[in-house]
Amino acid sequence: MTVTQSLFYFLAFVAIFSSLLVVLAKNPIHSVLYLILTFFTLTGEYILLNAQFVGIVNIIVYAGAIMVLFLFVIMLLNLNVQTEPQKTNLIKFIGIITGGIGLVVLTGSLKASDPSNLVVIQNVDMGLVKNLGKVLFKDFLLPFEIVSILFLSAMVGAVLLARKETK
Amino acid sequence: MTSIIIIAITAIVVLYLGLYKVKGALLPVSVLGLLGAEASLVCGWDKNISYFNEMLVFNNYAIAFSILLIATTILIFLMSGNYFEKISSNVAEYYTILLFALTGGITMVSFQNMTMLFIGIEILSVSMYIMAGIKKNDTSSNEAALKYFLMGSFATGILLFGIALIYGATGSFNLTEIAGKASEQPFLFYTGVIFMLIAMTFKVGAAPFHFWTPDVYQGAPTLVTSYMSTVVKTAGFAAFLRLFGSAFSSVPPIWTVTIAAMVVITLLIGNITAAFQQNVKRMLAYSSISHAGYMLIAILLLGQASPNAILIYSVAYSIASVASFGVIVAVKEHKGSDDLSAFNGLGRTNPVLAFVMTVALCSLGGIPLTAGFFGKFYIFGVAIAANYTWLIAIAVLMAAVGIYYYFKVIIAMYLRDSESGESIQLNGSYQFVLIFCVLVTILLGIAPSLITNIL
Repeated sequence: MTVTQSLFYFLAFVAIFSSLLVVLAKNPIHSVLYLILTFFTLTGEYILLNAQFVGIVNIIVYAGAIMVLFLFVIMLLNLNVQTEPQKTNLIKFIGIITGGIGLVVLTGSLKASDPSNLVVIQNVDMGLVKNLGKVLFKDFLLPFEIVSILFLSAMVGAVLLARKETK
Repeated sequence: MTSIIIIAITAIVVLYLGLYKVKGALLPVSVLGLLGAEASLVCGWDKNISYFNEMLVFNNYAIAFSILLIATTILIFLMSGNYFEKISSNVAEYYTILLFALTGGITMVSFQNMTMLFIGIEILSVSMYIMAGIKKNDTSSNEAALKYFLMGSFATGILLFGIALIYGATGSFNLTEIAGKASEQPFLFYTGVIFMLIAMTFKVGAAPFHFWTPDVYQGAPTLVTSYMSTVVKTAGFAAFLRLFGSAFSSVPPIWTVTIAAMVVITLLIGNITAAFQQNVKRMLAYSSISHAGYMLIAILLLGQASPNAILIYSVAYSIASVASFGVIVAVKEHKGSDDLSAFNGLGRTNPVLAFVMTVALCSLGGIPLTAGFFGKFYIFGVAIAANYTWLIAIAVLMAAVGIYYYFKVIIAMYLRDSESGESIQLNGSYQFVLIFCVLVTILLGIAPSLITNIL
């Protein structure tokens, strides 16, 4: 087993373990901390795939900005075990059934797909920032520009909803 | 593409006009920009231009639906008069967000690349989350915005998952390339298709993903509801059909049973629940679910006639919805309620409003001599051509239930007595929109050939 492989298995194990703890932990703050751990292990996987940009963005955006927001909300709302809404057994049962079916479908489809030319990365440098920039500003220029409308709309909306009415 | 640019620039200009407090110019500038966008679209007819490595392709399908979206927006804007000013003084921002939403809608109907589909859906949805919650002091409006936002973002996650799986199976985001490589990784591809199906049916509000619709439609300000039930729904269905018709049609349609079940559930839930509603706005929300069921039939049985059937249905449904929501806005402002009882005696106090409402509801119900009849006629025609007689039987039965609850409003307007005898005064552009909608509905009901052979 090479170093890369053993690293991969280690990171994968930690990722699965901590994401299970996200769901199983009773305390919401622990849940969030395990979620951060999951994001870090995923970043490790991205870097193993030579996709540094995605790895860094994952840290900055998810582990940095969004998780801090999560923690703030949980602390401000003072959520704990008591305030958690209790679900009926029927809902839990339905959830388990549908989730289980989803799991079977996804594992089945992933197992059935053989690693053909389309799926395997042809160019090992594909995830580097230089290549990503070329693709983003050449092939995907239009989505890159149109996204600005989305952000502008969201910004106008955020200010609109947050501003105090003068009346 | 030019139309998207024109609308985006108009939106920014409107935002600046609001900054400099030029209240009177907001509506004229918006409508002028929209008319310019319409003109640029008409110029591109039959030219089939693709932009930026086939990100967007403006074929006749895209242009026809874009024109419909813009026209509906113009009608709603003309009705807005002083509606938004009663909510708050930030009128310019409301117009801006609605214009941005429209660019999202046009992106959705003209996409050729999955990334554009995703961005289009996001622009439209994010704008709508905001517009649903603009009544900040109204709890039901807040609830509508939050519910729409939480459920909508979840659906967006599922959509992205589906796009990722399809990319994994075919190695491309381009619709024609996907269609060419669809059979290389069938299982991954089918899983992706089902995920995208779930997300798209959520966005158009078909059962069993319809739970957000009644609350959001009722909680949002009525004019925003009319925008949601026309522009958002039309764009959603146009994108749905474009996606399934071009990218997923090359493989055997494994989704047939799933969509058929969805159509039946949607028709049953939408129509039967609507029959029990006492609030007219909520009733129209459930009826919009049932209309999604009828339109899904055209997607279930993909064929040559599907685009035309969806277009005719969307035109009839949009025009009738604008008119009926317009009447609801007027009644609500005058009587303070949009319950069924508020419509009592409207036929005597406001004959014109009552007539507009009657024509609009007849069109929604599919009564002959209105545009809605031909909408249903062409949808059922698609199903008959594919030998789905049992589905037609259910759909016709549910259309009959639909006529029952639409006529409840008409009976209240003409056969019940009202408490107050005052008539409702409307400004000029409001009257123009209502009369225009009635004329178009009747015109298309008599001469449907005007739009039946466009695509």
